[in-house]
Amino acid sequence: MVTAAATLVLIFIGGLVTSTGSGLAVPDWPLSYGMLMPPMVGGIFYEHGHRMAATLVGLLTVILAVWTARTEPRAGVRRLAWGALAAVIAQGLLGGITVIFLLPTPVSVLHACLAQTFFCITIALAFVTSREWTRAAPPADDVAGVRGAAAVATGVVFVQLLLGALMRHTGAGLAIPDFPLALGRVVPPLDSLPVVLHFAHRLGAIAVVAALAYLARQAHRSRDRRLSRPATLLLFLAAVQVALGAATVLTGKSVVPTTAHVATGAAVLGTCWLVTLRARRHLRRPQAMAVLTAPFPDAAPAP
Amino acid sequence: MSFRKAVTVLALATLPAACGGGGSSERAAPPSTAAAAPGGPAAGATGNGNITGKVGFQGTPPAPEKVKVAADPKCQSMHPQGLEKQPVQVKDGGLAHVFVWVKNAPAGSAPPTEPAVLDQKGCEYHPHIVAVRTGQPITIRNDDDTLHNVHPRPTINQEFNIGQPRKGMESVKTFDKQEIMIPVGCDVHPWMRSYISVVSHPFFAVTRDDGTYEIKGLPAGEYEVEAYHEKLKTQTQKVTVKDGDNKLDFSYQGS
Repeated sequence: MVTAAATLVLIFIGGLVTSTGSGLAVPDWPLSYGMLMPPMVGGIFYEHGHRMAATLVGLLTVILAVWTARTEPRAGVRRLAWGALAAVIAQGLLGGITVIFLLPTPVSVLHACLAQTFFCITIALAFVTSREWTRAAPPADDVAGVRGAAAVATGVVFVQLLLGALMRHTGAGLAIPDFPLALGRVVPPLDSLPVVLHFAHRLGAIAVVAALAYLARQAHRSRDRRLSRPATLLLFLAAVQVALGAATVLTGKSVVPTTAHVATGAAVLGTCWLVTLRARRHLRRPQAMAVLTAPFPDAAPAP
Repeated sequence: MSFRKAVTVLALATLPAACGGGGSSERAAPPSTAAAAPGGPAAGATGNGNITGKVGFQGTPPAPEKVKVAADPKCQSMHPQGLEKQPVQVKDGGLAHVFVWVKNAPAGSAPPTEPAVLDQKGCEYHPHIVAVRTGQPITIRNDDDTLHNVHPRPTINQEFNIGQPRKGMESVKTFDKQEIMIPVGCDVHPWMRSYISVVSHPFFAVTRDDGTYEIKGLPAGEYEVEAYHEKLKTQTQKVTVKDGDNKLDFSYQGS
């Protein structure tokens, strides 16, 4: 859980790097101006600060992986912990590549997406090693379809995050500089890639809100507070996220709302993913459905 | 899909970016980079024609932008009141820092080997525009007791980003392709901004504080001259150059 929390903070710090244009304030890697600790001035404060926070998360992940390997009886969980370590190492390498090769867009986008993926891995590890998991009662029937709703919502949110990363790292964040209209219209002229990307992200926001609203409705129908409460939180986070998105555009990508928008996106994904995990743990496909979809039993032997 | 499979899929999911684009996400709009026009004077030709003139500015320039430099204590100590950024600098009715160049000029003489200098002093670049020939070296110097990184963002030439952590450090760079008004910035100190213009011939100038300029040694002929300012609209005029001085003025209008 500590690693997951630290990762969310790291995502915020990473967002600050891009928002302040500090991605290349430290031109070398892995050292910073040839030093382990450069003067923390200007853009270096954000970029090297990000590297320091990433190092901390890396260390926490190493501890987590080793500790899990030594104490966890379930092979799948041990593999997941090693997977987290591999992901954070890959993330560090991607960060170095972005600096050395001057922020190539595909690498920057991959760095952003892997950060979110790693965040989800840490949440999964925290959950499967929690008391809630190990002491869970036998799962109840998922009559409200929460498992499916949560999985779909998580997928929609992840795609929206990918669109956001594409938009941000191709400089399309202000391709549509007005809100709520788009270039003065409901649908802007889709004659340039930046406008297409930006508008796709806005449409994605509508899809996310719809998916989260459906999830919240189904979660409440399940009458399981472990699902309904975070699902309600998701509605609140979605409202905040839309407001932050609008503020990002209307302030011309001011640092605070822009970075908060990145971090809140991660929080939405993380919460959605947690609901998905919980639904999987505490709910099962309804038994009637299980019977209907089960294969026919073997025919009785002839007398 | 089983739960374990779902977790494994998510753990391994690193969706590749579908969109290319490459390079920095913040680039200046590529300015014109016209090569020598066919039918003009022969490559390597020089002459006795000069283009002289003034880039004028009428009206009120926009208000300067006050910049806080507290991000670096060393810069703050040099500018306790902050810095004023005024890209539209007007004196005696003339506009400074306008790059004026002949778009369809002949190749002219060989490029000089003496390097031009871009200096970082007082957490600012000096000069504001460095104009060089293709292949001419540029010495980039740090005269501040603080770190700078030098990060030009060309669209045609090779981009680079170098750190200069100590006072007195120098780096020598060249640009091999013609490219006008390459923005140069420091990612440590985001208010710092200068431009490098790389030209394949010697017929260019940067206006002085009073807006005047001179371009010397052109062969007689018909030419297209462009005036490029970092904030104002680019202007182009045609001129017939004869031996001696040929006057060509540009004019900008403020609010």
